[in-house]
Amino acid sequence: MTEDNSFMSGLPELAILRLLQDQEMYGYEIVQAIAARTGAALSPGEGVIYPLLHALEKSGALRSRRKTVAGRSRVYYTLTAKGARRLSALTSRWSDLNGAVQALMGGALAVR
Amino acid sequence: MPFDNLAETLLRGGIAPRHVRRYLAELSEHLDDLTEKQRAQGYEGKDAELRARALLGEDRELAAAMLEQKSLRSITARAPWALFGILPPFAATAAMLVPLGILVVIGKVLGFLEKGAARPHWFEQLGTATAACANLVFFPLASVLFVALVARHRLSLYWALVAVAIPLLLFLHSVAEFTIPGHPGIRIGVGMAPIFLPKGWKTAAADWPIVTAQYVLALLPLIWLARRRLAAR
Repeated sequence: MTEDNSFMSGLPELAILRLLQDQEMYGYEIVQAIAARTGAALSPGEGVIYPLLHALEKSGALRSRRKTVAGRSRVYYTLTAKGARRLSALTSRWSDLNGAVQALMGGALAVR
Repeated sequence: MPFDNLAETLLRGGIAPRHVRRYLAELSEHLDDLTEKQRAQGYEGKDAELRARALLGEDRELAAAMLEQKSLRSITARAPWALFGILPPFAATAAMLVPLGILVVIGKVLGFLEKGAARPHWFEQLGTATAACANLVFFPLASVLFVALVARHRLSLYWALVAVAIPLLLFLHSVAEFTIPGHPGIRIGVGMAPIFLPKGWKTAAADWPIVTAQYVLALLPLIWLARRRLAAR
């Protein structure tokens, strides 16, 4: 995956990697889980999550397998060791960014 | 089919067919899940289906998200010059060597290729047939393969023309000769004699019925694709 510097990019990737850290999931499950966990504040377009999943798999961050559960065949994704390292790097980057925004907002409040 | 237009857009955009296929399968499964959810929420029939389709996203958005991922582009789309400009003569040679290789193995095992060995008539006939098979079946098959790749990846017809024309211009031709005047032994192999050089013309003229058939058969897949593209316009 190429390093993307735009402000919000990397967030869907972070969310996907974080969710898959706990368990293997399929696309629909991932979209529903992101919406549920973020109170729908972060709800990616339902279908547009797959290209990101494919790209993450291609980069070695995820692994996929087709599995049939309750008569429905779906592609399930799991995190790889490379994906775990990527998650750790993204988490650190977003924590720094979060800290910076907090500091900025605190500063703004102090001025007021 | 619900995602036919999307598939065409992605293939024309250079996305690898295997990713397109999987994307469409996952979208179909996702759509089923969304429709089920809409029904559970009380929407019925067509209403549930339309709501689910809207939630999934418009074709334009779905295509843009995939086309944005450059890593999902096929090698064919990234370097068509390598695949269709460099590989064809090697692929055609390799394809033609397969039947000749089998012939050589048979000849070696049975001792027909030893110096001064007596060769039965059937082996010489088999050799002639094998060389003809390499020229008329395996050489055109290489052409079919490259034209199929162009069709599958929705590439320009020019790439198919390049892939077919190069081996034809280089004039790859199989030979299995068992009686060569003034020359001891036999000759089995794939020769290259560029058709634009005098040697190529002479070789082609000497075996013109097979050469003509070889050229026609190799060009047929290209003509088929051109007609298909014209019909689709």
